[in-house]
Amino acid sequence: MGQKVELACIIDDDKIYVNLVKKIIEIKKLSENLLIFKNGMEALDHFKLILENATEDVLPDIIFLDINMPVMDGWEFLNEFIKIKNNFDKKITLYVVSSSIDPRDLERAKSFNLVTDYLIKPIELKKFEKIFDRNSDAAA
Amino acid sequence: MLNDLQLNSILEDFDIAYWKINLLNKEVTWSEHFNTLVGNPEFSESHFDYFLKEILHRDYRYDFRIYFDKLTEENEAFNIELKLKLGNGKYRWFECRNLKNKESNRDTAVLLFVNIHQSKRDQYTIEENFFYYRETAQMTNTGGWYIDTVNRNIYWDNVTKKIIDCPLDYQPPYEEHFKFYAPEEHPTVISAFEKCEKYGIPFKVELKMRNLYHKDFWVCATGKPVYNEDQEIIGIRGVFQDINEQKVNELNLQNSLDIIATQNSRLFNFAHIVSHNLRSHSSNLCLIVELLKEAKTDTDKIELIPNVSDISENLDSAINQLNEIVNRQSLLRKERRIVSFEKALSGVMASTSSLINRENAKIVAEFHALKEISYIPEYLESILLNLISNAIKYKHPGRKPVIFIQTYIKNETPFLEVSDNGLGIDLDQYGDKMFGMYKTFHKNLDSRGIGLFITKNQVETLGGSISVTSTVDVGTTFKIKF
Repeated sequence: MGQKVELACIIDDDKIYVNLVKKIIEIKKLSENLLIFKNGMEALDHFKLILENATEDVLPDIIFLDINMPVMDGWEFLNEFIKIKNNFDKKITLYVVSSSIDPRDLERAKSFNLVTDYLIKPIELKKFEKIFDRNSDAAA
Repeated sequence: MLNDLQLNSILEDFDIAYWKINLLNKEVTWSEHFNTLVGNPEFSESHFDYFLKEILHRDYRYDFRIYFDKLTEENEAFNIELKLKLGNGKYRWFECRNLKNKESNRDTAVLLFVNIHQSKRDQYTIEENFFYYRETAQMTNTGGWYIDTVNRNIYWDNVTKKIIDCPLDYQPPYEEHFKFYAPEEHPTVISAFEKCEKYGIPFKVELKMRNLYHKDFWVCATGKPVYNEDQEIIGIRGVFQDINEQKVNELNLQNSLDIIATQNSRLFNFAHIVSHNLRSHSSNLCLIVELLKEAKTDTDKIELIPNVSDISENLDSAINQLNEIVNRQSLLRKERRIVSFEKALSGVMASTSSLINRENAKIVAEFHALKEISYIPEYLESILLNLISNAIKYKHPGRKPVIFIQTYIKNETPFLEVSDNGLGIDLDQYGDKMFGMYKTFHKNLDSRGIGLFITKNQVETLGGSISVTSTVDVGTTFKIKF
């Protein structure tokens, strides 16, 4: 087991899912802290604020991004995030997470360079551990 | 007068050969030309015998002998068409006739052989062509017609009369011949006939015609101008082909294809919804099961229970909503009827009266330009219900909701517009999602999705389309093209 992830981020509007993931992270002690946003817009606003205040230490190591959300969906968030991500020095690993098994969604997600992988819900506990572990290794 | 030599040369020029018959001993001599025609044969028997045996086609031997006997014995004139075998071995048609014998000349008769092969062949060709024409016309149900624009008369052949289902002695009226076309075709027909009559432009069009008993059927019609010697157009000539069966099949096929295409796209949408909305709940359930397995203490387990009940509630409501969509789709089997907009609206207003009263909403309707429409009544009510309840739900907080509903016809297409003075929506940002169904089942904040999704489906099922224009803080207008 590698070093623990400092800060993980979930962008998802499904409260139940977020609660459950939160529980998993707590139980398995996968990450020190957790950032949660209900939609892409909230997350984007937060990252823009970090840029303005130059407080990079509160950037997440890993982001789990849902696709279908109100206000600003995952695709829109990705398009906006591309524009600002080069201003960060920190390496951020981003996973698109969705219950959609539509192959076109998968293709679309993989067309983004900054997307590490497309994960289909539900994500098994072991998979979670692996993701966080791999992330730790990469970060270490 | 011409002498024999001159006469012979003229006859030869006209390809006419002859026999001289000595009536006393029945001896036959051939003209030089006749001899050449049959290939200057050498033979030992008499000319007559050789002719019967080797030159005359056997079908005519019997008749010819009788005629010949009658001529020589009773001086009776005759005229038959027969086939002779020429020097090249081929048979050719000849007319054989004898020159009228003057009473003074009782010892010689002359028999002429005139080559009629070409005209005989032409006649055959015409008969043959006529046969093919008639068979083709009957088999393909193609009838001919002629419009005499000078004397203002119309002629139909029997197949045309059969196609139009009128008696064979029916005389089509010149002035009223447009009544044989379905009213919607009149502009096309009038323009085609006018252009042909005035400028000689031929036409080929598919038309819906109407018979004497007001039954409509499809034909393919062609028409070409007819000119007189001075190159003036004196009429139009053409054919009608009865293509009703093919056309009806084609239309049915196109119709089925359209239905299948829309059904397919709806099925695809439906699969999409199932994939997105049911899977999100089932995946949460899986996650909980895993967590339950991992939970070490009873307290940990009990803490998870509320989540299970949340998931089951969400799943239940998602399934109910899917069920609602399926139920609405199955209304498809219901038939169109003439529905009054006024009645449909009053039905909707009665069922939403509590909402309307609570919000103090004002509904203004103008249906005088188009009072009714052939539609599935349940669909029209559902469409009005969705649009009205949306308008009230997304009212502007600063003012009373006013909804303006109107119907009208533009370019022969009926339209329905529902406008409100509500919140409006930024179409640049949300336009493409307006009629979608993403995340609508477990988001109470944005319940717009399912209603408009169903509305769009209903409108499209009946071959229409729906569009939206909106300005933030001013209001939204939905336009339905039926």
